[in-house]
Amino acid sequence: MKLTLIITLFFFIPNLAQNSHFNFHSPENKKKFADYLFCEGDYLRAVEEYESIRDLIRNDTIDFKIMLGYSSLGLFEESNKIFKQFNYESVFYSDGYLYSLRNILQIEQREFDYPGIPSFDPTQWKSFRKLFSISMLYADEPFESKEKFVSVFEEDDQITVSLLYDYKFNPPYKSELLAGVLSAVIPGSGKMYVGEWGDGITALLVTGLFAFLAYDNFRADHNTRAWIFTGLGAFFYAGNVYGSVASAQIFNARINFEFKEGLNLFLQHKNYFLPEYDFCN
Amino acid sequence: MTKNNLKFFFLFIFISTSAFCQLDNLKWKKVDLSYEKPNNFRQRDYSFEFDDAGDFAKKSIAYTYWFFISDVDGDNCPFRPSCSSFLMQSVEETNIAQGMLMFFDRFTRDMNLYKGHYHYPRVKDGYYYDPPSLYTLNELNVNFYYTPATEVVDE
Repeated sequence: MKLTLIITLFFFIPNLAQNSHFNFHSPENKKKFADYLFCEGDYLRAVEEYESIRDLIRNDTIDFKIMLGYSSLGLFEESNKIFKQFNYESVFYSDGYLYSLRNILQIEQREFDYPGIPSFDPTQWKSFRKLFSISMLYADEPFESKEKFVSVFEEDDQITVSLLYDYKFNPPYKSELLAGVLSAVIPGSGKMYVGEWGDGITALLVTGLFAFLAYDNFRADHNTRAWIFTGLGAFFYAGNVYGSVASAQIFNARINFEFKEGLNLFLQHKNYFLPEYDFCN
Repeated sequence: MTKNNLKFFFLFIFISTSAFCQLDNLKWKKVDLSYEKPNNFRQRDYSFEFDDAGDFAKKSIAYTYWFFISDVDGDNCPFRPSCSSFLMQSVEETNIAQGMLMFFDRFTRDMNLYKGHYHYPRVKDGYYYDPPSLYTLNELNVNFYYTPATEVVDE
């Protein structure tokens, strides 16, 4: 019985084994595999597979998926290179156009020039309006009034967008000149103006201490010691004036940083106002 | 346990213990571990080799600071780069006068007992990261090198 079973298996298994008649590397099978990888979120390998069959199967969906794949990988320039090869008649041209604008925003971080607009459906038009308006936050000067700018967005987003607008065009910067002048008049006050109270009070105490030591030693005719304290006090005083200007600059750099981070987080959360595409269900 | 199994068991114990026994050239012994932090600041190079007058002045100031403050105070600077390194780097990035101003500002900030935990980013060792590039008054540099306090920086 055992022997019969072994012999049966021995004959059947080779017959059913993988054979060369099945072509795993046919374009159709590669596409199926690439689709699977794309749905699994493995964009790097999905794009590689799609690229290998792109010349064999001309398909708008494949081109658009390659564009999305590159964009998801952060390869925005590659993504836009694919868009440049899109046919104007393609059903994905308008979607690709929107994605290309998002890629430009990521690469160049600047406002859009007024672009030649393809025909959009109402959803795409809304996305375009929002994306175009938000790009203004990368410009040096606003080209729309705040009311007009904010009105483009949904009600839920208007507060955030309004805050971002204010942060960009009326940033709560601290004046470097004022910080320096304040510290020149009252040591440490420039730092306090910038919000660094601990540093400001320390500077006031240190400069005051050296000034008192210098005065006291001059009064007691200890001229050498008095001059040493005068010199040190002068360095601390000048260093504090300099440091107050530097602190104001750092404060302003923090405002710029927070604005950029806030804007990026908001745009990522909103997927740059682009429609979601589901190719997997 | 059968006789055969017992034989195999003893054979296995015999072979494994002989294979991992203490060898003549590798005696098992206790390891002396040191948990002390290395005191790099004690091995300072006070050599006075300099390329130009600026280098001479820079080294003089740094050595004076080491001798009168760093070596007495110990390795207690909470910043990276440390205050003396900050002085050297400031002079290198700018000039002696500006470097001195940057240093005195840093020294004042060092004396502040309430250095904000939310003010400076940290390096991996826990020191505050405070590079001179932020204080050169070059706005592009400041915007480029600014790091938020929430980040841990590779020094």
